[in-house]
Amino acid sequence: MAASQFLSSGSADSDPATQKGGAGDAWFFCLRILGGRYGFEAPLVTEVVRLGPLTRLPAAPSFLPGVFTHRGEVLPVLDIGQLVGQSALPIRPSTRAAIVHCGPWKVAVVSESVEGLVAVPRRAIEPPPAESTGVAEFLSAVARDRNGSIAILDLPRLVEAARNRAVPAGSAGA
Amino acid sequence: MSDPQNEILMFQVGPRVFAAEVYDVVRIGTVRDVAAENLILDSILGVPFGRERGLVVGGQGDAAERTLVIDQVIGIRGVGADDLHALPPFAAAVMPSGAVTGFVMIDEVPTLLVDLPTLIRERQPAAAAAHAS
Repeated sequence: MAASQFLSSGSADSDPATQKGGAGDAWFFCLRILGGRYGFEAPLVTEVVRLGPLTRLPAAPSFLPGVFTHRGEVLPVLDIGQLVGQSALPIRPSTRAAIVHCGPWKVAVVSESVEGLVAVPRRAIEPPPAESTGVAEFLSAVARDRNGSIAILDLPRLVEAARNRAVPAGSAGA
Repeated sequence: MSDPQNEILMFQVGPRVFAAEVYDVVRIGTVRDVAAENLILDSILGVPFGRERGLVVGGQGDAAERTLVIDQVIGIRGVGADDLHALPPFAAAVMPSGAVTGFVMIDEVPTLLVDLPTLIRERQPAAAAAHAS
């Protein structure tokens, strides 16, 4: 189910812990990656799927472990761990990924597990740490809820960085 | 299921199967009599197990024909437009090679579609350098 649909449905059957959102709350879609909690702006995430068999692309950068078919559509898989220079996430048939629309791109962000939608009071959202290395480079904020902190990823920046690292300057339009 | 509209050549390099447009291939033949500088033994598709067969691909303009060494031709299949998928935009944007252009769905499995002229063109500087040395 699309996160935006999930938001608008207000389903009473859903986990109350993730559904108590007030007017002053921000919504994030939370995944576990690299042992930590990472959140994305909820409207960017449209679906969560189990990865099927991956088709690997020859000479692809390590953060693009392959593509898979989902409802007849071929989707690229993005491994954020590899992109930020940390270890690769293990990919198995049971691995779940969040399908994220980001500008013109649609990617499946692979995760260790999916937590789902989380409402965070806006007062509990702080600026990211000043570090400019690793995953901190791609954070737009750090949020805190009853389960701990959530690193909020700036997906447009993450995807743009993936493109810039893979394509040498001046050849992007080639 | 759509009517077959595109003829696709299926071939194998090492353990993997690839697809290419039939009209990109001038002929299929043995590599025995092909000059070394016109052979492409290793590419982004991998290294073939053997050195027996090749796909001859025409060069652009005055460029000579080049032969991509493969392990075997699996066959030619007619596929409908619905079975052809372009590389997803994100994958296309981050791939260092333009030779993989998309996928052909064969029995619901995506098989990489290779643009052979682009593969040959991208491989030329390395091959020329190797020959010069």
